[in-house]
Amino acid sequence: MADQAARSVRLYEPARTPGFGAWWYRQGQFVASHLLLALLAITMLLPFLWMVLASFKPYEEVENLNPFPSTWHPENYRKVFEQVPFARYYFNSVFVALWVTFLQCLTSAMAAFAFARLKWPGRDMVFRLYLATLMIPGIVTMIPNYVLTVKLQLLDSYLGLIVPASFSAFGTFLLRQFMLTIPPALDEAAWMDGAGPWTVFWDIALPLARPGLIALAVFTFMGNYGSFFWPLILIKSEHLRTLPIGMLYFDSVYGKQTNLIMAASVMNLVPLIVLFVCSQKFLVRGIQMGGVKG
Amino acid sequence: MKWQRNDTLAAAGFLLPNILGFLVFTAGPLAFSLAVSITNWNVQHTVPFQCTGTENYTELLHDKQFWIFFINTVYLMLGMPICIAGSLFLAVLLNQRLRGMVAYRTLFYLPSFTSGVALMILWKALYNPDFGPINALLDWCLQTFRINELLRALGCHPVAPPQWLSATNNLLGLVPQELQISGSKFGLGAREALIIMGVWIAIGGNNMLLYLAALTNVPQELVEAAQIDGAGRWKVFRHVTWPQLAPTTFFIVVMSFIGSLQGGFDQARVMTNGGPSGTTTTLAYYIYTKAFEEFQIGYASAVAWVLFSVIFVVTLINWKYGQKELSY
Amino acid sequence: MKWLFCGAFAVLVLLSCLAWSLQPVPAAAGRIPLLWVSDDNPARREQISLFNKLHPQCELRLDPNNQGMEKVIVQCIAGVGPDLFDCYDGFQLSAYVRSGIAWDITGQLRASIDVDKDVWPAALHDFVLDGRAYGFATNVCANAIWFNKDIFDANGIPYPAGPWTWDEFLNVAQKLTVHEGRRIKRFGLLCDWWNWRQFVIQWGGQVYSADGTCCTMDSPEAVAGIQFLHDLMFKYKVMPTPAEESAMATTGGWGSGTITFFADSKSAMALGGRWWLCTLRNVQAERKPGERLRLGAVECPHGPLRVFRGYGRATLVNKNSPRREQALEFTRYEASRPYNDLVNHQADALAAVKQYCYTPEFLHDPDFPDEDFNAVWRDIMQYAVPDHDSPFVNGQAASRIMDRQLDLVKNDEKPVADALRTIAREVNEEIQKTLRRDPELRARYEELMEKKSPR
Repeated sequence: MADQAARSVRLYEPARTPGFGAWWYRQGQFVASHLLLALLAITMLLPFLWMVLASFKPYEEVENLNPFPSTWHPENYRKVFEQVPFARYYFNSVFVALWVTFLQCLTSAMAAFAFARLKWPGRDMVFRLYLATLMIPGIVTMIPNYVLTVKLQLLDSYLGLIVPASFSAFGTFLLRQFMLTIPPALDEAAWMDGAGPWTVFWDIALPLARPGLIALAVFTFMGNYGSFFWPLILIKSEHLRTLPIGMLYFDSVYGKQTNLIMAASVMNLVPLIVLFVCSQKFLVRGIQMGGVKG
Repeated sequence: MKWQRNDTLAAAGFLLPNILGFLVFTAGPLAFSLAVSITNWNVQHTVPFQCTGTENYTELLHDKQFWIFFINTVYLMLGMPICIAGSLFLAVLLNQRLRGMVAYRTLFYLPSFTSGVALMILWKALYNPDFGPINALLDWCLQTFRINELLRALGCHPVAPPQWLSATNNLLGLVPQELQISGSKFGLGAREALIIMGVWIAIGGNNMLLYLAALTNVPQELVEAAQIDGAGRWKVFRHVTWPQLAPTTFFIVVMSFIGSLQGGFDQARVMTNGGPSGTTTTLAYYIYTKAFEEFQIGYASAVAWVLFSVIFVVTLINWKYGQKELSY
Repeated sequence: MKWLFCGAFAVLVLLSCLAWSLQPVPAAAGRIPLLWVSDDNPARREQISLFNKLHPQCELRLDPNNQGMEKVIVQCIAGVGPDLFDCYDGFQLSAYVRSGIAWDITGQLRASIDVDKDVWPAALHDFVLDGRAYGFATNVCANAIWFNKDIFDANGIPYPAGPWTWDEFLNVAQKLTVHEGRRIKRFGLLCDWWNWRQFVIQWGGQVYSADGTCCTMDSPEAVAGIQFLHDLMFKYKVMPTPAEESAMATTGGWGSGTITFFADSKSAMALGGRWWLCTLRNVQAERKPGERLRLGAVECPHGPLRVFRGYGRATLVNKNSPRREQALEFTRYEASRPYNDLVNHQADALAAVKQYCYTPEFLHDPDFPDEDFNAVWRDIMQYAVPDHDSPFVNGQAASRIMDRQLDLVKNDEKPVADALRTIAREVNEEIQKTLRRDPELRARYEELMEKKSPR
């Protein structure tokens, strides 16, 4: 796994097509590939297209076969905000996700540094213990975590949403992989100059592991933004609902108004899409380094 | 040069927040969950607390519901081979030096990245048997191509678009709530709807990216050597590329198994609430209802641990078998 | 890198302050906020605003999103529970009491009302357990026969008057059932299937034995009762079978459901509660004067026994709530005249306090002069008995078993005797399962068994 990680640092070099056959053949291949890919891409994206188009339709037209609305109704988006406190849901989701991302990145980076760069007895054994817990289905630990929040009276609060989600063995694992790829020579120079571990961490390890940090930050934000199970069992009050729970509530109460539901879904997905397009490079590398998304 | 220092103190400092959280929210709960699974606790104080030993486990082994939901969980894995093959296919397509591959890759990855409650609500609307576009399209096809008249001429039953999320029909004819197969239950129903949606989400997802990375690592010399020897594209793939992809395939299969065994909750909760007559209830959803709707914490923890053991055993088997089969 | 993290932290702290300042205010200044978990019935809102008007120091709000017995209990234990919550049957009440979240207000209520004398007996078992009161009833009801006066007039049949037997009823119903070829155009009776309990008790059967130790659905009386209900559909054909009922939905009219079908004159009579008026009044309001229904009500026909099934709901007070004294005011309000008058006026079933059902405003509501049948609803309450639950089995689990089998009877897929025998067997197994888990219940059970067959 480690040498694959090293090799994938030269990430994406497309294979060279063998140069046999005529130029026409190559051109034909070019056109055929593009055609096929375009067709597949459009098929994959059809649901999204339908969603966007349906969000502009008036209520009666949603069930028509014609996907295009006869009249465009952008006020559907405004109506969503009027029928449920959507802005509040947005704020809650982003707020909680930002806190969780910050805490997770910080704690995972510190722990990854301890596992990758510091030497202490029992290091590898403890790390294997961390790895082992990655295999445990989330639901096994959710139940006791819920009981814990009940006892600590953190049910139905921001703290209850943020704190349990702020620790992840996966984050530690991912950042450790990245930190291992940093050449030790840099560290050693610093150690020899008498720098303490804190300085080495902040000035050498973190900046060089930046791609990993970005990947982890994006993963965590995205994961927590869409987190469904934990807020579902924890949150009771309306003003603390996050987007997924808000969407569920919206759908159960106003489900018949498909055009509004689709508008809400579009608004739900837009931040994710924007985030993804901006951070694609880091994400792909992160996935291929870590092997799996959380 | 070996470091002579012992960084234990520094390590403790760096590790502290993370390991504290780990102990409180992961390791501790794990032990607590095992401990509670041998009791009859239900958080509400309506029943006196007592250690019941293995009673929860024996009860769940005799519980018909548990086995039905276990079968549901396994059923939903039917889409896995299609998904993995599809990811490989897409990765092969994308592995060319043409402009715009990155754009296509983004588009394919989009469903996987945005997967969540919003997407499931979208598919719920798509699958609506009366107003959804999928059935509208199927209806239109049936009308335009006069399929029903053709079928009647051939002496078969006329077909109607399936009821998707409200139908208990499925491709294997399983009867809901009983461990039986019945011919009248063949068809497309809620389970197939979820499988199709799952394949759509995952086909361009992480698996595709992993295959892409693995494909770029296939040594070009081998491929070119095979082509010089006169092998066609398919033979090259089958005998050169595919074995090189073996570790990745193995990894993907194991991860998919683990994911499918413990998944299915989000879809069940958002789209079907457990399904028409419990047909889309997976073990994860069953644990949820037992733990957070009936608050039978002891029993739910027992089920969760059984699920964990199954995952563990499956992973072990995959590991052993995989090593033997794919080692070169 | 360090500055990046510090900057991020600062931003997050600012956002936290923002979140904290945006916390919703639980109540207007100076008023004590109270939360009531109940269903989102429109009548509820009027009842709440009347309470807020009469008690300006409190502000009561409805929370329809967190219903469910287990959820309420856990949230109360976790300190985030509501101040008031509803209870629908004896099993729920005993669960709430055993978990320690129901507040014993027997003493406090005594000043306002004499629970044993002033409340309809059918309402008591939702909030009184072992002689202690934990809340107060919101409303109560027993089902009776609604009939369409126009259909009776058109067929020259005199309006029915109680008490009358099922045989007399069949006479009338069969005359009013109109056949059209092989189909039936108009039925004599519409009856929701969940009224089967009424048939069981009218023939002298019981769902559980008197001490609750076993399920007696397989007794010959219970079988006879369910058999009669089955016969109404399949032998006498005055009531639609499930297939005929779903066919009714597609033959026009604006919806499905027993109330809607009756309002569409698809049947001459229907077995329902006074709360049907909530929907029927809306229907009447939307129609032109010439097309409106002329409604009548008469007590339900009786079998060998003249009893009716009473059902209702009660509101309990959360013992752990810091505002329980103010929540207590709400239960006193439920025992008071303004609330009970409002319930009667809204036709949210019937007021739980007897004396307010004898007022002239109840008998002849000035807003609804056509409703001359209110005395019927009151008089049948004297013969209304509550459902008999067993403390040894979870009501929901038992209901699920019974519904599964009775669905087969409803669809004529299983003989009545077989289905009821299966019910009795499975519910008794469920009882044994519950007893195995709970030593306290087991002790009580064994005590009762000793009494039955003393050695």
